[in-house]
Amino acid sequence: MSNIDKILVVDNVSREFPGRKAVTNVSFEVEKGSIHGFLGPNGAGKSTTMRMIAGLLPPSSGQITVLGEKVTGFNPNLKNQIGLLPENAPLILDMSVEKYLRFVARLHGVQNLNDQVEQVMSELMILDVRKRLIGNLSKGYKQRVGLAQTLVYDAPFLILDEPTNGLDPQTVVELRDYIRRLSNRKTILFSSHILPEVEQLCDQITIIHQGKVRASGNLHEIHKKFRQGLVLKIGLRVGEHLPDLSIFGKYEITQSHVVAKEVQFHVTFENDTDCRSEIGKYLIKSGVNLLTMQVESPELEDIFLQVTETKK
Amino acid sequence: MIWTIWKKEVESYFASPLAYILIGLFSLITGIMFFNLLVTYTDGVQAIPQDMAQNISFVEEVVLKLFANINFLFLIFIPLITMKLFSEEKRLETIDLFWLSPIKEWQVVIAKGLSALSLVLSMLLMTVIFPLIIWGVGIKDISLLSTSYLSVILNACCYISLGLFCSSITNNQIISALLSILGILFLWMITWGGHLNSNYMISEIFNYLGITSHFERILRGLLGTQDLIYYGSFIFFFGYLTVKSLGRRNW
Repeated sequence: MSNIDKILVVDNVSREFPGRKAVTNVSFEVEKGSIHGFLGPNGAGKSTTMRMIAGLLPPSSGQITVLGEKVTGFNPNLKNQIGLLPENAPLILDMSVEKYLRFVARLHGVQNLNDQVEQVMSELMILDVRKRLIGNLSKGYKQRVGLAQTLVYDAPFLILDEPTNGLDPQTVVELRDYIRRLSNRKTILFSSHILPEVEQLCDQITIIHQGKVRASGNLHEIHKKFRQGLVLKIGLRVGEHLPDLSIFGKYEITQSHVVAKEVQFHVTFENDTDCRSEIGKYLIKSGVNLLTMQVESPELEDIFLQVTETKK
Repeated sequence: MIWTIWKKEVESYFASPLAYILIGLFSLITGIMFFNLLVTYTDGVQAIPQDMAQNISFVEEVVLKLFANINFLFLIFIPLITMKLFSEEKRLETIDLFWLSPIKEWQVVIAKGLSALSLVLSMLLMTVIFPLIIWGVGIKDISLLSTSYLSVILNACCYISLGLFCSSITNNQIISALLSILGILFLWMITWGGHLNSNYMISEIFNYLGITSHFERILRGLLGTQDLIYYGSFIFFFGYLTVKSLGRRNW
């Protein structure tokens, strides 16, 4: 369990609230140095799971290990190791940005307090609002301060619960870039329901729906798992027909459309063998003009919808 | 750690108008009370023959009544001070900042309790003008004045610890304040229960459990070990309950 490559191991964790089950037998792992996407629709149990990982909520059953240490309400070895940015950032609205960050740093016993606070404020570009009261800041700045709060004591493991939710596009891009850069020195568990964001940022994902893990692992592996057979995009010159490809196995043309002077067919084969070179040779031999041939991997969105819809 | 949280809380009190309103209102009300007590006393003394007037004690009629009234004011003022201490932090989830840090529940409870006490002391500081007047009248009794202040401060500590507990069990400030007011009223009513009971033993038990008998004894300068034990154990008991209530998130 205490494999050093695994920053986080969630093992069969359940949490019940009076009258409802928030999460049921959730298990997944987060590898050191990765950005792990935690996906699920609203109310799927993401925040509950994240609070349990941070040690703020006891699980009804199961065990959570962070950095090889069992998470409990007060595990001194885990203090200063986890940075949490919940959906509602824990901001003290009547404090100035600088005072607030210094307060959090002092709570965590940070030694070089001045340097650390200055550095975090400069990294998150909040130096210009350092003297302003947090309550008077815009949502984007508040979120930056919330993120700064997790960094000010230099925890190696960050839990970010929908950090870009409800922000303007420019702030979203800046925060995303910053989070990507952070992954060089931190492990990040990152929840979101914005799928392109997760695809851009994360190497590994866990999809949770109705309190249960539906898929977990490397993004490519999950793509592979949900790809039912090989899907090829084949482009021919307009007016040409796709020759019969049944010698390569059972297949169906799921869609076809014209793009510029090219007609594109999406062909789904029942089996998963990558036979592109053979198909290419075959098509050219059949006399058609092969303009495009590409393996289509399903979008994360497709997987997500498949997972969250079919298992209702 | 305790110092850090205490500082933050005191700054937070004085960053909002609440502290100034409470201090101003408290000074105003106690000022009016003191003035009224003085007027009533002088009117009383002037209305009766001089040899009898000596029987009307200034200490009894003005000093003790003033501090008893201050204790009465605490019924409203202290719940207003303590109501937000935990409930607001729970509502805004800023309390999680503590639980992610190496700080322990008891440290937070002590820091918050001390911050509330600091505000109460600054309210009481405004009343120091009254002892100066009393001093000018000729009652130069340091021990009387210090035990009077001690009695209200000890009562304030009890009300704060009760208020902290009420604040820790809800995330609604109004409910927290109402619970504290009810709690303090209940503490007073225990003594009334003692008066209503004819059985000596039971009446004594009620008397010991209620705060009023201890308060009155210290107010009159009769500070005994039993009173200190009462106040100590009261504050510790509710402090402990608060720590336990905050620790419910643990496993």
